[in-house]
Amino acid sequence: MRNQRDIWTGVTWVAFALLAVLLILPLGRLLWASLLDKGGGLTLAHYRDFLGYPYYSRTIGHSFLVSSLVTLGALVVAVPVAFVLARVHIPGKPLLTTLAILPLVSPPFIGAYSWILLFGRAGYVTSLFQQLGVNVPTVYGMHGIVLALTLNLYPFVLLMVTGALRALDQSLEEAAQGLGSSPWRVFWTVTVPVTLPSILGGALLVFLTAFAEFGAPMIIGEGYQVLPTIVYSLFVNEMGGNPAMASTAATVLVLCTTGILLVQYWAVGRRRYAMSQMRPIPPVRLRPALQWAAAGAVYLVVGLSLIPAMVVVVTSFFESRGPVLYPNFSLGNYQEVLYNVPRAIGNSFVLSSLSTVLDVILGTLIAYLVVRRRSTTTAALDSCVMVPYAIPGTVIGVAFIVAFNKPPLVLTGTFLILLLAYFIRRLPYSVRAGSAILHQIDPAVEEASISLGVSPLKSFVKVTARLMMPGIVSGGILTWVQTITEISATIFLYFGAWSTITVVIYRQVSSSNFGSAAAASTLLLVAVFIPVLAVNWVMGERAVANV
Amino acid sequence: MGTNLTIHEVRKRYAEVEALAGVSLVIHEGEFFTLLGPSGCGKTTLLRCIAGFLRPDDGRIQCGDERLDRLPAHKRDIGMVFQNYAIFPHLTVFENVAYGLRARRVEPAEIRQRALDALRLVQMEALAERRPDQLSGGQQQRVALARAMAIRPRLLLMDEPLSNLDAKLRVEMRTEIRRLQHELGITTVYVTHDQEEALAISERLAVMNAGRVEQVGFPWDVYQSPQSAFVAQFIGTSNALQGTLLDGGGEWAGVQIGDWTLRARRADGVAGSALAVFRPEALALVPEGQDCPGATVGEAMVVSREFLGAVLRYRLRLPGGALIHLDEHKPDAARLRPEGAHVRFAVRPEDVMLFPAEDHR
Repeated sequence: MRNQRDIWTGVTWVAFALLAVLLILPLGRLLWASLLDKGGGLTLAHYRDFLGYPYYSRTIGHSFLVSSLVTLGALVVAVPVAFVLARVHIPGKPLLTTLAILPLVSPPFIGAYSWILLFGRAGYVTSLFQQLGVNVPTVYGMHGIVLALTLNLYPFVLLMVTGALRALDQSLEEAAQGLGSSPWRVFWTVTVPVTLPSILGGALLVFLTAFAEFGAPMIIGEGYQVLPTIVYSLFVNEMGGNPAMASTAATVLVLCTTGILLVQYWAVGRRRYAMSQMRPIPPVRLRPALQWAAAGAVYLVVGLSLIPAMVVVVTSFFESRGPVLYPNFSLGNYQEVLYNVPRAIGNSFVLSSLSTVLDVILGTLIAYLVVRRRSTTTAALDSCVMVPYAIPGTVIGVAFIVAFNKPPLVLTGTFLILLLAYFIRRLPYSVRAGSAILHQIDPAVEEASISLGVSPLKSFVKVTARLMMPGIVSGGILTWVQTITEISATIFLYFGAWSTITVVIYRQVSSSNFGSAAAASTLLLVAVFIPVLAVNWVMGERAVANV
Repeated sequence: MGTNLTIHEVRKRYAEVEALAGVSLVIHEGEFFTLLGPSGCGKTTLLRCIAGFLRPDDGRIQCGDERLDRLPAHKRDIGMVFQNYAIFPHLTVFENVAYGLRARRVEPAEIRQRALDALRLVQMEALAERRPDQLSGGQQQRVALARAMAIRPRLLLMDEPLSNLDAKLRVEMRTEIRRLQHELGITTVYVTHDQEEALAISERLAVMNAGRVEQVGFPWDVYQSPQSAFVAQFIGTSNALQGTLLDGGGEWAGVQIGDWTLRARRADGVAGSALAVFRPEALALVPEGQDCPGATVGEAMVVSREFLGAVLRYRLRLPGGALIHLDEHKPDAARLRPEGAHVRFAVRPEDVMLFPAEDHR
C-alpha cells in the first residue's frame, strides 16, 4: 500500500512540476515582459499603446468580428446538415459522416492557401474570369478568413448536434405527442430545447478556435490583422521585433480566450441532457423531392468543405514555376519538396510522435489520478492541466521564447523547445481522452485484480491501462494529427534545422512557390487523413468529437 | 477454531460521516456470515476494510494471529465477489479464472486443472472459451465466483453479489452459493441489504445500522428476539406503536396506546414512554363476540388489503389513527373482510416486544 502511494504521489508532483515550468513560468514571464519599460521599471505604457493606437487596438475588434462571423456561418451550415443527417433518410450517410470530419483535421492554413489557389490574384477562377474579361474580387482579407475557417470548423457544431440528436430516446418525442402536441410543436418545444446546449457548445468551440487561429489569417488576411497575427508581426517585424509589445498583445489575446472559455463554462456548464438511450429516433423518409433537396444540400456543404483538399492535391501534380501553374501532370513539385526539405518532414514526424507519446503517457496517468484518486490535490491538478486549453499556440510561442531565452533554462533554437511546446499544448486533450474512457470502466475490475494477488501498480497496467487502450490509442492519434499540423507556436520556436513541414508550407506560400507548397500540403493531408479515417473506421465518428 | 476472523474496534470516518463507529465481530472458521443493514450502515465499508481497499482509522482485523490490516490488499489472500462481478472484459472465461493463479506463479498444468475444476464447480466448464460479453448476468456471476474460489482463499468476501439478478435467479443463485460454500468450507463474509436473503443464506449474521453492529446471531434469533427496535423493524415486517408503560410488577406489562391497553412481555430498561413492536403474523382476526383468554383484543377498520398468495395482508387503522398490518395465512374467500369494515383482532402478550421509545428511528 505504501509503495503504491509513493508512485502516484510521484506522478502528481511530476505533473505539477511540469505545469509549473512549462506553463506558469512562461506565462508569468510573458506578463512580466509586457509590464517592463526599457529601463527595467514597471509600466502600463505598452497596454496604453496597444489600446491607444488603432493599428493595434482594431485587431481586437477584427478578432471578435471574424470569430462571430465564422461561428454564425458554422451554425447556418452545420445545424441543418446535422438535423438532416440524424433524422432524414438519405443515401450514402456513413460516407458523408466520415467525410464531414476531414475538414476538422486538415489545417486551416491549407484551406486558406487553397482558396488563394482558386480565387487569389493568379487563382484558377480569377484567371478564368479575367480571360472572359470579367474582374472578380479576390479572396484576400476578412471574407477570405471567414470563408476558410467556416468550412474548416463547422464540423464541431455538426458532431455535437448529431451526437445530441442521436442520444435522444424515441420516448421523449412520443411522450410529447402523447400529451397532445403536433409534430411541429414537438420539434420546437422538445427537440430544439434539448439539443440547444449542444448547439451552443459547438458554437462556442468554433468561436474559441477561430479566435485563436493563426495560420489562415496569416496566409489569406493580407493587411487584415487579427490578434494572433499582430502578435507575430510585432515579434518579427523589420525593426528587429518588439518583444514587450508582442508580449502585451499576447497577454491581451490570452485574456480574451480565457474570457471566452469562462463564458463557455458558464453558458454550457452542466446543461447537457444525457439519456440512457434505448431506442434512438429512426430517420424519417421524406417525399422524394424533399429527400433529394435535403440530400443535395448536405452533399453540397460537405463537398464544399472538401474543395480545399482536392484543389491542393490536384495542384500538387501540376507543373509549376513560382506562382504560375501549368495543367500538365508532373511529379516535379514532389521532387523539389523531397529534395529540398526532407529534414523538415522528418522533424515533423519525429516531433509529433515523441510529443504524442509523452502526452499519452502523462495524460493517462493524470486521468487515472483525477478520476480514481480523488482528493483536493488531484482536483487542483485537474484544473491546472486544463489551462493550456485556453492558451492559443501563438501565446505559447511568445511565452516560451520570453521564458527560455535566458538562464537558467536556455532552450531557444533547440529541438526540445518545440517538443515541450507541443507536449503542453495537447496535454489537456490527452487527459480528457483518458478520463472519458476511464469513467466507463468499473473500478471494481482493478480491485478484483488486486484481490487476486496482483500488486496495485501491476493491476493498473494489466487491467485498467489495458481496458483504456482503445480510448488512449484514438486520443493519441488525434493528438498526433493536431501536433503535426501545428503552425502557430512552431512559427515562433523553430530555428534553422528544426523547421517542420507546416513551416515549409507557410514559407513556400509566402514566397509564392505554389507548386511545392501544394506537394508539401498533400503529403501532410495524407499523413493526417489516413490515421483519422482508420480511427474513425474502428471507433466510429464520436472518437473525433474531442479534437 | 484456529483461524477465526477477528474484527476488533474498527473505526472509519469519511469527512463528516462516521462510517464505522467501533465494530467488533468474531467470524468463525468455515462459517457463512452475513453483514446485513440498510444502505449507508457501514457494511460495505467494513467489507472493504477486510479486503484491504480501505484502511481503517483504528482497530484491528486479524485472521488467526495474523494482522490482516497490516498487509496490502494483494497479499491478503482473500477472494472477493463484486456487486457488478468485475469480470475482466478483455479475457476469456478461462483466463479470468486463471488470472489469480498466474499471479501466484502456479505451474501451467496445475493452473489449467484448478481453473477448470473451479469452473466445473459453478457449471461453467463448457463456456470456458467464451468472452464475457457473450455471457448472461447469472453466468458472469458464476465466473466471478469461480475466479474468487480458484485461488483457494482463506476468506471469501461477497459484496451484494445477487443484487443485479432478477428475482427468480437470485433465489436459485443463493442456494447455489450456500451449497458451494458448504462443500468447500471457505469462511465467507457476505454483504446484503436484503433481509430475506440474509435470513435464508446465513449461518450467522450481524445487523448493522449507522456504523454499529446492532445484533449478532442466528437468523432465527435475530428474527424472533430482536434486541433493538431497529432490528425488530428492519428484519421482516413489523408494527410499531408508541405508548406509555403502565406501572405494575411481574412478567407482563400494559402499554397505554390512546384508549387502548396492549399487554406485552416486560423488557429490561423500558419505562415510561415505550415502543411496542409486533409482527403482522402475530395478529389474528376474531369474530364478534368470541373470547380470547390471555390475549389483548383490539378494534380497527380495514383500510386496504393485499393478496400475496399464501398470505392475505390487511392494513388496519386503529381508533387512534395508527396503521398496522395483519397477516392472515391460508386466506379464505368466504371470510374476506371488505374495505371499511370494522374488525376485531387479538394479539398474545408474548408476541409483543417492548423497546425504549427513543430507540425508535
